[in-house]
Amino acid sequence: MSNEFHIVVCGSIVPDPLQTLEPVQGAQGPELKNEMMLPAVLDPWAGHALYEAANLAAKNPGSKVWLVSLGPKAKLQQVMMNIAQKVPFELVCADGSASGFTDSFEVATVLAQSIEGIQGLDKSKLLVFGGWQSASRGSGAVMQMLGELLGISEQFQGVDKLTAGDDGSLEIMERIEGGAYQVSACNGTPAVLGWATGELPEPPNNPQVGMQNMRLVMPALQQAKPADVVQGSSLAFAAVELPQQRRETRVVKDMPVEDMAREIVEWLNS
Amino acid sequence: MSDTVQRQEMEADIVCVGFGPATGGFLTTLGRALVNEDGTPLAESKVMPGMPPQVICYERADDIGFGVSGVVTKGRSIKESFPDLDLSQIPMAHEVTEERVAYLLDPIGASRRSAPVKVADAGLKFVARDHAVELPWIPEFLQKHGGMVLSMGQFNQWVGSQVMGSGLAQIWPGTPVAEPLLNGRAVKGVRLVDQGVDKQGNPDAGYMPGMDVKAALTVVGDGPVGSVGQYLDRELGLPEGKHQREWAVGMKMVVQLPEGCELKPGTVLHTLGYPEPEIFGFMYVYPDMSASLGIFVPSWFDNPVRTAYRYMQHWMMHPYLWKHLEGGTLRSWGAKSLQESGLQGEPFLAGDGFARIGEGSGSTNVLTGSGVDEAWATGVQLAEAVIELMRERRPYTRENLESAYVQRRRESWVGEEAEQAAKARDGFTLGFIPGMLGMALSGLTRGTINMPGRSRKPWERIPRIEEYFKGVVTEQELIQLRKECQAKGASLHDALMDRAGWPEVPLDGKLLVSHQDALLMGGKVVANPGYADHVTFADSYACSVCTEQVCSEICSGQAISVNPEGGAPLFDREKCVHCGACLWNCSKPHPEDDENTNVQFAAGSGGLHSAEN
Amino acid sequence: MSTILYLAHTEADGTLAKISREALTAAHQLAAGMGAELAVGLVGEDVGAAAESVAGCKARFLGVSGDAFSQGRYASDLAAAEALFKAVNPDMVVAPASFRFSRAIPGLAVRVQGRVDTHLTGLEAKDGKPVAKRWFYRQRMVGEFSRDERPWIVTVDAGCFEAFEESGSADVELVQVSLPEMRTTVTGIQAPDADEQTIRPDAKTLLVAGAGWTKKQADGQSHVDVAEEVLMQFLGATKASLGSSKSLVDISGEGQAVISFLTHLHQVGQTGSTPRHAKGLATCCHGEEPHVVGWRFINERRAINTDASCGWAQGKADVLYVADAFELMKKVNELL
Repeated sequence: MSNEFHIVVCGSIVPDPLQTLEPVQGAQGPELKNEMMLPAVLDPWAGHALYEAANLAAKNPGSKVWLVSLGPKAKLQQVMMNIAQKVPFELVCADGSASGFTDSFEVATVLAQSIEGIQGLDKSKLLVFGGWQSASRGSGAVMQMLGELLGISEQFQGVDKLTAGDDGSLEIMERIEGGAYQVSACNGTPAVLGWATGELPEPPNNPQVGMQNMRLVMPALQQAKPADVVQGSSLAFAAVELPQQRRETRVVKDMPVEDMAREIVEWLNS
Repeated sequence: MSDTVQRQEMEADIVCVGFGPATGGFLTTLGRALVNEDGTPLAESKVMPGMPPQVICYERADDIGFGVSGVVTKGRSIKESFPDLDLSQIPMAHEVTEERVAYLLDPIGASRRSAPVKVADAGLKFVARDHAVELPWIPEFLQKHGGMVLSMGQFNQWVGSQVMGSGLAQIWPGTPVAEPLLNGRAVKGVRLVDQGVDKQGNPDAGYMPGMDVKAALTVVGDGPVGSVGQYLDRELGLPEGKHQREWAVGMKMVVQLPEGCELKPGTVLHTLGYPEPEIFGFMYVYPDMSASLGIFVPSWFDNPVRTAYRYMQHWMMHPYLWKHLEGGTLRSWGAKSLQESGLQGEPFLAGDGFARIGEGSGSTNVLTGSGVDEAWATGVQLAEAVIELMRERRPYTRENLESAYVQRRRESWVGEEAEQAAKARDGFTLGFIPGMLGMALSGLTRGTINMPGRSRKPWERIPRIEEYFKGVVTEQELIQLRKECQAKGASLHDALMDRAGWPEVPLDGKLLVSHQDALLMGGKVVANPGYADHVTFADSYACSVCTEQVCSEICSGQAISVNPEGGAPLFDREKCVHCGACLWNCSKPHPEDDENTNVQFAAGSGGLHSAEN
Repeated sequence: MSTILYLAHTEADGTLAKISREALTAAHQLAAGMGAELAVGLVGEDVGAAAESVAGCKARFLGVSGDAFSQGRYASDLAAAEALFKAVNPDMVVAPASFRFSRAIPGLAVRVQGRVDTHLTGLEAKDGKPVAKRWFYRQRMVGEFSRDERPWIVTVDAGCFEAFEESGSADVELVQVSLPEMRTTVTGIQAPDADEQTIRPDAKTLLVAGAGWTKKQADGQSHVDVAEEVLMQFLGATKASLGSSKSLVDISGEGQAVISFLTHLHQVGQTGSTPRHAKGLATCCHGEEPHVVGWRFINERRAINTDASCGWAQGKADVLYVADAFELMKKVNELL
């Protein structure tokens, strides 16, 4: 017997990890220099969550995947051009800031409202997926608050594996200290899972999936509701700085390997 | 590829390959016409009845603004498409405010200058400031006044978002196209590259054979080294008398200019004469105190050991430029091949089921040094032709495309100016000074009088290292240098440039950085897993007896290196910026087609992740 | 007068982990700086020993204990935290950013109508008001901030404060929790064997292995088996923790030979962890930002690379040894 899951994946965009980032003071607090120009990607952990969701949905016919995204519409559109080729999903977009400097509570509130607004969503079948952290804010707090706002008390963070039993039960492996896993059994949906890397590679581009997603992505972007994640918070930054990290590097070359080894061992033991 | 593989198939009405300015012009123009004012489609989709025509564009790079270039353009065709164009809406765009052309003298004494150039230099020394002489007047054909400076990355993103926002065309980045689906001389669509394969292209974990996308019209706008364009040129040949032998690699940086820099946004500087007379330089100043700057190393620069990167560093440090750049910071870096054959390299512009637009179709004007404007215009012209054919319900046959598109192109300013420019570069086959004279002659007489010259295949013109460095480095020294470089895995060009008197570049970690750091800091190069290597060598024996190994010396990203075991060089996809310079920087002919070299450059995934270029 | 509630959970053996005692220092110092009262709320199977181990902080001690709280679980941990919160009604809550409380504590913000900031690396009172510090964009920039909303709930990252050590005797008020329906049970912990254990957060040294270990060497072959042996010998001898660059973890996707004991859990840097250790030795790593953030919080850094201009080292490490890591690390192992 298979289960029908309604999987909502929360994921937004972050600057392409290869870009050089620099904070600047904007009108509403700190932001990134040339933020709207920086190439963006789907947050890597949210990406893992999305691929896991698609995989779970594919294995359980009747299941459905929504991607709920809070970010500036124009940037989301560009990122969707890439993501939409990977796995089938329906996009729900809230047009607002994807900055790392926003209040995670505000973000959770917007996401909760977006999820509540999804037509045809059956909360008894609901799995809320997302990254256990983001590459922007990195708070690791949005998913929990979102779960609370949706009234879901079964929550897991740092998930690398989810196994659904025939009876609808869930076995979950969460990362804990020292490279170990905590294994939990949950009797079923609804549940919140913040994913770490999961176990699946990035799916290849599939133009047919892209064509199918496209029919829903463009209207979703056009219907995106503006979301304000700045006004409601008193969060105030005194400063945001790049660390001064340039060190004087002593380059040791042309030294016999034995001497280098001795120096390293002395240093390790000191 | 022998094809027993079961492939998925998909149908569209029009499939485009490559999203650059040409396809941008095509999709912008077509998209506006696909739906009539009353909301009815211009024509019905053949593959999705009831809907407007389904138009898809596949772009190789991971985003639609990655891996392109900074430009100055008159922008005539772009302004025509966007009559209310507000440049402030496009990051890094600005109107041209000032133009200067400077001849750079050699302040180092390492530049390889012929006797006539030396004589000229000696005369100019007395009027030079900062070892440079600014031309008192810029010939009209070179002027860009009234035009604009642009980051093509930002411009493409802007255009792309407008096109996609209309919902009438889809642009899919990160999707390299392997080849056209050819049936005789007709094109039936395209085949995407295989995914989930090893470096050699063999099926591996997650194998997904490239999908066949069939369409009544395939629009080939994949640039000078695009795989579909190359495939068509190989299979269909070029029209009689045409050849694509003139190339250049442009390498550039986007630099955050130092505080207090006095250059004004919209300033355009062009240089010639240094670091070698054959190398041209450019600098375009953007509104946010940044600038796009770099050099062009042309195919007629006959040095077998060359690196655009080190030459660019010496060029930047020329006093004429360094006074503006010192204290600046590298923001982005990249490289690109330019097809400089112009009309002489024009392929078949249309055939049954396909049309060619943009740089790969020979649209770049080699006299005026303008490509984006022309590329955009050819895209617009094709779109106008397609709209006409759709309206008249005529199929995309060779004849129909010839009359609707090719004729339109010929009769436009693009066609007329291409004629004038056709022979403008011939003089360079004889050397720097005849080349400059030839340009001037062609430009001032609008192509009526031209300097004669005989073009050679790129591989034919590359001399042996021993020949080129005769009198500078002895054969004995060269043997020694080769041995040392091979042992260190280092490139020969650095050693030879040191030997020729080029000073060491004082790396500052900000603007003057090592080539590898440029890849990481400015290039942000990515190689997505699961794709085959896109640079291969046709005949490894030819490589094993090759002493020049120009491919590894020129490689913009140091992705090609000499194989210590001999045979074909090693290729590291993680460093490749997809500039395609290896394709024409090889001293050995292709075993099956001597118009090409032994290096094969196919459609590849990944590359630069910078949208500032 | 404002009140600060420090919340922590006990470990399996009933003690408080180092990170928890560090967070107590943060709370204790903050209370002093703000002139606030400090309350300590502990959650665990039995919290008595843990309370005594930090009784020197002279706070009011409260506890939630029982079988249901022996292991981390969102619903029960949050119920305990909520009960402790309601017993104290504080303006601020300070908790360790352990895996267990990182999972549970953010939800408290919704339950008590507060706001939360996590993974703080600094927390102090300035002019009597709390000011926090944390990193953004994967450890690429650091921000100092404050907020007016109360209660303000924060979690504190490991390695940013001294661990609180003053023990004594504590009188713990036990708080009763009415648990909601529990739909989740913890069925076990999967820990690597002691021999295989290569992630050691408390180790003095971090060894970072880069992709160079799997690349072709001078003889044109890759020697992953040798690399594995060299790395394991070093880890065995030094009890160092093992980290790896993203490229090395990702190489499996390229169909290349891989180091068998490396997983995504080992990854440091942009999409991995940024561990805190006193010393770090990077071997065969290349890259610039963002990869180098992997050792942002390593105090003393040395690197081995064949490339003297290696971006991992130049300007980032204290010493760079330009050498073949295979050869040099073998020698290091011999001497160890």
